[in-house]
Amino acid sequence: MTTAPLLALALALLNVAVALLLSPLAEGVMRKLKAIVHSRQGPPLTQPYLDLLKLLGKEDLRTTGGLPYALAPALSLGSVLLLATLVPLGAAPPLGFAGDLIVLIYVATTSAVALILTAFASGSPYAAVGGSREMMMLLSVEPVLAVALVVGAVKAGTLSVGGILAWNAEHGPTISMAIAAVALFLALQAQAGKLPFDIPEADQEIMGGPLIEQSGPRLALFRWALWAKQLIFALLLVQVFVPWPHLGIVPLDVVLTLVKALLVLVLVGVIDAVNPRLRIEQAMGYYMRVALSALAGLAFAVIGM
Amino acid sequence: MANVQGVAAQVNEAVAGRIGAGLRVASQGPPDTLRLVVAPEKLRSATEELLRLRARFLITVGIDTRPLTADYRVLYLFSLDAEHLFVVLECAADPDDPHVDSITSLVPGANWAERECRDAVGVTPDGHPDPRRLLLADDWPEGLFPLRRDFPYDYRPPAAGGVAPVPKQPPEGASVLPIGPFFPVLEEPSYWRLFVEGETVVGCDYRGFYNHRGIEKLGESVLTYNEIPYLAERICGICGFIHSTAYCQAVEKAAGIEVPRRARYIRSIMLELERVHSHLLWLGIAGHILGFDTVLMQTWRMREPVMWLAEEISGNRKTYGMNTIGGLRRDLPAAVVPKVLKVVDEVERESVAVRDAIVGDTTLLARTKNVGVLTGEWARQVCVVGPPARASGVPIDARLDHPYAAYDEVPPRLCTQQAGDTWSRLLVRVEELLDSIRQVREGLARLPDGEVLVEVVDEIPRDRIGISVVEAPRGEAVHFVMTGGDNRPYRWRVRAPTYPNLQAMPAMIDHAAIADFPITLGSLDPCFSCTERVEAIDVRTRTRRVYSHKELLAMSRDLTRRGGRR
Repeated sequence: MTTAPLLALALALLNVAVALLLSPLAEGVMRKLKAIVHSRQGPPLTQPYLDLLKLLGKEDLRTTGGLPYALAPALSLGSVLLLATLVPLGAAPPLGFAGDLIVLIYVATTSAVALILTAFASGSPYAAVGGSREMMMLLSVEPVLAVALVVGAVKAGTLSVGGILAWNAEHGPTISMAIAAVALFLALQAQAGKLPFDIPEADQEIMGGPLIEQSGPRLALFRWALWAKQLIFALLLVQVFVPWPHLGIVPLDVVLTLVKALLVLVLVGVIDAVNPRLRIEQAMGYYMRVALSALAGLAFAVIGM
Repeated sequence: MANVQGVAAQVNEAVAGRIGAGLRVASQGPPDTLRLVVAPEKLRSATEELLRLRARFLITVGIDTRPLTADYRVLYLFSLDAEHLFVVLECAADPDDPHVDSITSLVPGANWAERECRDAVGVTPDGHPDPRRLLLADDWPEGLFPLRRDFPYDYRPPAAGGVAPVPKQPPEGASVLPIGPFFPVLEEPSYWRLFVEGETVVGCDYRGFYNHRGIEKLGESVLTYNEIPYLAERICGICGFIHSTAYCQAVEKAAGIEVPRRARYIRSIMLELERVHSHLLWLGIAGHILGFDTVLMQTWRMREPVMWLAEEISGNRKTYGMNTIGGLRRDLPAAVVPKVLKVVDEVERESVAVRDAIVGDTTLLARTKNVGVLTGEWARQVCVVGPPARASGVPIDARLDHPYAAYDEVPPRLCTQQAGDTWSRLLVRVEELLDSIRQVREGLARLPDGEVLVEVVDEIPRDRIGISVVEAPRGEAVHFVMTGGDNRPYRWRVRAPTYPNLQAMPAMIDHAAIADFPITLGSLDPCFSCTERVEAIDVRTRTRRVYSHKELLAMSRDLTRRGGRR
């Protein structure tokens, strides 16, 4: 799958714009949804935008110096935006190339690594506990993501995300791909930092964990990165593993994909509203079981189902 | 009552048999109270004898009786629950250098009580395992004891340096995770230092009493008998009525005042309504602690009509101002009865729905089952009360053990569980919530006619004692009153249920995960105050404006609609 460089650039910009500009809206929808489950009025849909504007306009307070600490928020959001260009949105990934799947897995971990760096640098015991929890969650969830993508790779016989999309769109649903899709969806709950897996932040236990010492623009960038990340993972899920109907008309496919991604996030929001928080070792055990189950998908893929 | 007299005689005999001439005087206070004055050196033997009779330690009361008896007196309050009897061990301490033997090694639950007695009255417990400062502020000077008679209630000593309590050192290799003094899920300031290895708690240190308001001192020095109920009511931000009831009952007992039957019924009904809204509040907070805010939002919505009901009956959501010595200041209007029934019907219907949802929630089960386990044995040792005790299989309930108000006629059902974990405490509270609704219904159905206040004509006699226990939503509250001469108590002692319950925390979180600390503490039911109405004072014009609930709600919604633009 090749696209003209100009179109690729335009699509890349589109992906980045979607990740930046629509992700607060998706978060707003999830908040409203939670409010409805709570019998509350809830904040307006635009509240996340207002939150970001407010935080960006505040003074930049830092508890410590050091380059990694200073750059972490930008690294976090930047890596998520790079991730956006590797994820298909109605068409093949704009910056896709053969083997981009491996890069995607690496880039996907970067924002979490930035958060962990911040946590350990900020010197708060709560952040330290949160940072170690973030690391444990990363180590538990990342294998699920990897196994799901490898299932797709084995099935489609390619290491390019666009290739898997194309194969899936052409061949229709299969058992192995369905298992991979479910595994990816379960991983999404943790990637989005939603209950029952918001363990690294756990307001009531460690008061926001890694983010406890963050405020103003730095907090805005971390938040923004998190919201963008949950939207991108929802896009990855619906596009790579549930690409039907793939119309081949880019604008229509873009809209359709966004609607599907929003539906996925609504489901994530419902799960968030009706669950208490798990303990870290319970969450790790859960994701280990998910990863092992996803391996079954790999077995199906190998025997061609 | 004859039975109680018989038991009292047996206890008296048993203690006399154990310590012989060490038992100096035995007397009957109110019918359910046995007062034994023992020689200081026989205090521990007498305590051992009472423990053998399965007595439960309540609290100590240190009294500066120098003007009366030329020494200090320390009273150790015990309860024989199954026998419905209170036993008071009283021992004297030297007026110049007051000391008593510590009983903490016999009764671990006496730990705080003895330290408090030392801080407030200055009677040192010899041989106490942890004699650090408990009650007084960090910069309070040494050698000043606020509950002594010659200490003026409004005296403010200059801050002293270098007297702060020594923090406990964490074990080798553990790091300290501070929880508090202010922490999102602790509604009151309290300071826990968790010693952690990774995610595991290997020990802790506690420092509290940051909000000590000197309420007992005010009661003994400034207020009169009839004013104290309004202060007592403000001890707790959520279950105020239990404190005013407990105080009034203690005075009524000491003075031998018989409260009209209708007043006793209404006290019961109000106490149970308080339990209903308190348990719903707890359920919400427990959900919130676990990040399950849907439970918080729904239970607090459910409890709101109960608050409105309280407001309709008493004029206030919470501080009812209904109790006074001899009964009630306000009757329950007949017109409100159908409304009460309607509200409790609705609360019952929704509570059952919530219970069924909770019982089937596997994630919730995973977070509460086997979490914060309190063994029945340790619960007895630390003298834990209320739902935490009952969830550990300790069958105590002040409403059954020492019936007051109308609980002798409309008794509660004893709700117990055996496992002693957070899940059991949740089940006990949910069961009690539903049982409280039943009691409100039954109480209303059997509500007798008549007066609600008996006029107290005679002056309340001096030097009598009265002990009253009330089963608050969080457990048994104890009020002790020793009557005085100037229309106020000589000594008024209050022990809230959290006092013994908090002392069980270190054992409950030993080798727990950090994540389980908040819910374990929360499962003891922290207290919470909520005020719906706001009084705004315009600083320039000094005019007042009281916003009603409806106005505030409308303002809040309007602000939401405008997206926060004022």
